[in-house]
Amino acid sequence: MIPTFGQNATATPKQAHFNPYSFNGGSIMAIAGDDFAVVASDTRLSEGFSIHSRNAPKTYKLTDKTVLASAGFHGDVLTEIKVLEARLKMYEHEHGKKMSSQAIAAMLATILYHKRFFPYYVYNIIGGLDEEGKGCVYSYDPVGSYEREVYRAGGSAGPLLQPLLDNQIGFKNQQGVEKVSLSKDKAIKLIKDIFISAAERDIYTGDSLHLKVVTKEGVSEETFPLRRD
Amino acid sequence: MSILSYNGSAIVAMAGKDCVAIAADRRFGIQGQTVALDFQKIYEYGPNLYMGLPGLATDVQTVAQRLKFRVNMYELRENRKMKPQTMLSVVSNLLYERRFGPYFVEPVIAGLDPKTSKPFIASLDLIGCPMITEDFVINGTCAEQLYGMCEALWEPDMSPDVLFEKVSQAMMSSCDRDAISGWGVVVHIIEKDKVTTRTLKARMD
Amino acid sequence: MTERYSFSLTTFSPSGKLVQIEYALAAVAAGAPSVGIKAANGVVLATEKKHKSILYDEHSIHKVEMITKNVGMVYSGMGPDYRVLLKSARKLAQEYYRQYQEHIPTGQIVQRVANVMQEYTQSGGVRPFGVSLLIAGWDEDSETPYLYQCDPSGAYFAWKATAMGKNQTNGKTFLEKRYNEKLELEDAVHTAILTLKESFEGQMTEDNIEIGICDQNGFRRLNPSDVKDYLASIA
Repeated sequence: MIPTFGQNATATPKQAHFNPYSFNGGSIMAIAGDDFAVVASDTRLSEGFSIHSRNAPKTYKLTDKTVLASAGFHGDVLTEIKVLEARLKMYEHEHGKKMSSQAIAAMLATILYHKRFFPYYVYNIIGGLDEEGKGCVYSYDPVGSYEREVYRAGGSAGPLLQPLLDNQIGFKNQQGVEKVSLSKDKAIKLIKDIFISAAERDIYTGDSLHLKVVTKEGVSEETFPLRRD
Repeated sequence: MSILSYNGSAIVAMAGKDCVAIAADRRFGIQGQTVALDFQKIYEYGPNLYMGLPGLATDVQTVAQRLKFRVNMYELRENRKMKPQTMLSVVSNLLYERRFGPYFVEPVIAGLDPKTSKPFIASLDLIGCPMITEDFVINGTCAEQLYGMCEALWEPDMSPDVLFEKVSQAMMSSCDRDAISGWGVVVHIIEKDKVTTRTLKARMD
Repeated sequence: MTERYSFSLTTFSPSGKLVQIEYALAAVAAGAPSVGIKAANGVVLATEKKHKSILYDEHSIHKVEMITKNVGMVYSGMGPDYRVLLKSARKLAQEYYRQYQEHIPTGQIVQRVANVMQEYTQSGGVRPFGVSLLIAGWDEDSETPYLYQCDPSGAYFAWKATAMGKNQTNGKTFLEKRYNEKLELEDAVHTAILTLKESFEGQMTEDNIEIGICDQNGFRRLNPSDVKDYLASIA
């Protein structure tokens, strides 16, 4: 008989593992128009059932023509932004010009893939103007698979938002409608409506909606209240 | 992956003015592989009483049959039709009886009160916890997408035609963003003395 | 071992009768009278509750009892047997409510209590109940009153008005003369008291009769003070 002390004296030793990731929620979205792009996010930063911040927008202005939205693990978001901004500066010093949206998009993919086996836990969407001055959106998975699109929703309420964008902007499942190009005002109105809906059902989305509108004049900002419970 | 998402499904019920809608996709698949395009997920239990069963296909059919048995016995014993409210209790009981070895289905009930014709929609989880709502209820692998669509499209006091349009748009757009739902949609619009059933063509990928 | 030898006591006589049930009915016929009348807007149950000694605390034990919110009952026959049936009736009603989240319809509780009584005519080691029941209920679904009688055999009947127990034939004849379809609940209470009074020996007081009424507000037993008012108004 093995001498025992307490209940678990015979239990085998267990290794406690450090979990390097957590999930801080947040929803992001970008829509491209003919000569503009709108990048949006909510401003809630949460973990589990607690809210860390009600005022933490997840959109980052990279240049006058490019805005990045990223949600997921906030620690990785901050690191990723830091790396990106450094690379942006290095590019500017080397080439004597600002990086284009397409170039930033391609570079972000390689930055993400470089951490293929210990990824940034981040969902990215880029919105901006391309070299022809047209609106562009690029969406990513955490390890750098990316695609140019016209609209994309991501983050915690991504699955709730995306079908509505398909329907309202992509005119999917609509018969006999004229596919008119989207105006800036309509895009902003739609984003507001969609985020209000998402805040109803997703606990990780809410507090405020933050918009960054990219035009040839530069990047303008707008904030709009969402439900706070 | 959960057993609840082994076969894939999308079910929604929505209330309008003096009418309710219940809709489901028609796919039967085994994980990623689509097997059938005409699988029944909505069952009729009375002239104004329908139930949708998303979840594990074998349990869907078993639960549908066991409920039919209970409803039939009730109607013979009591010589009256079952109310949607009562139906909810019966389903809840049936599921809770298997509390520790559950049927992998999460039913959605839609009906009109036989007396007042008031819309009734409700949903349950797999162990029978009931939830009654005023606007819409959703279950299945496509629930997240449907919540986004319905939350944006729903408005109070919709006419049967408007209700049909909204439910159909919600189902089509949601199923397109769920890899294991879709392949056709069936929509029932339940009114006081009329039930209209339509099947919708959808993307087959 | 015991169950191997425990056959039913209720067996057929050569002539095809179940005499045990007839004895049970005799026990009922010898029991205290009770009356039930269905009015347009409710039902009344009334019964005689005489005590053998003035020393009894007469308001501690009741004959008119509630089964569930909308159903009540009374009996003629053996008190202890009634308590057993009351307990199972209440349990059956709650089981129904548990399953359907809805109050049991009168017809259903009657059917189920009758089923219990029938089981006691065929099971081993038991005797039939020595009671007949009057069950009064209000159906929320159809918004109508119901009055049923339930016998030891398990047979049940729906009545407009009836009497059971001692002098039941006279009681029924009296009711046949007094009853009409448009009767209101208040008048029905009076008629029920008058029916009891026909065969009542001695002075009728609020202490030696019991009354229950059932309408859309549910079932309730009248307070002795209410009964006293009714008695005063017919005197």
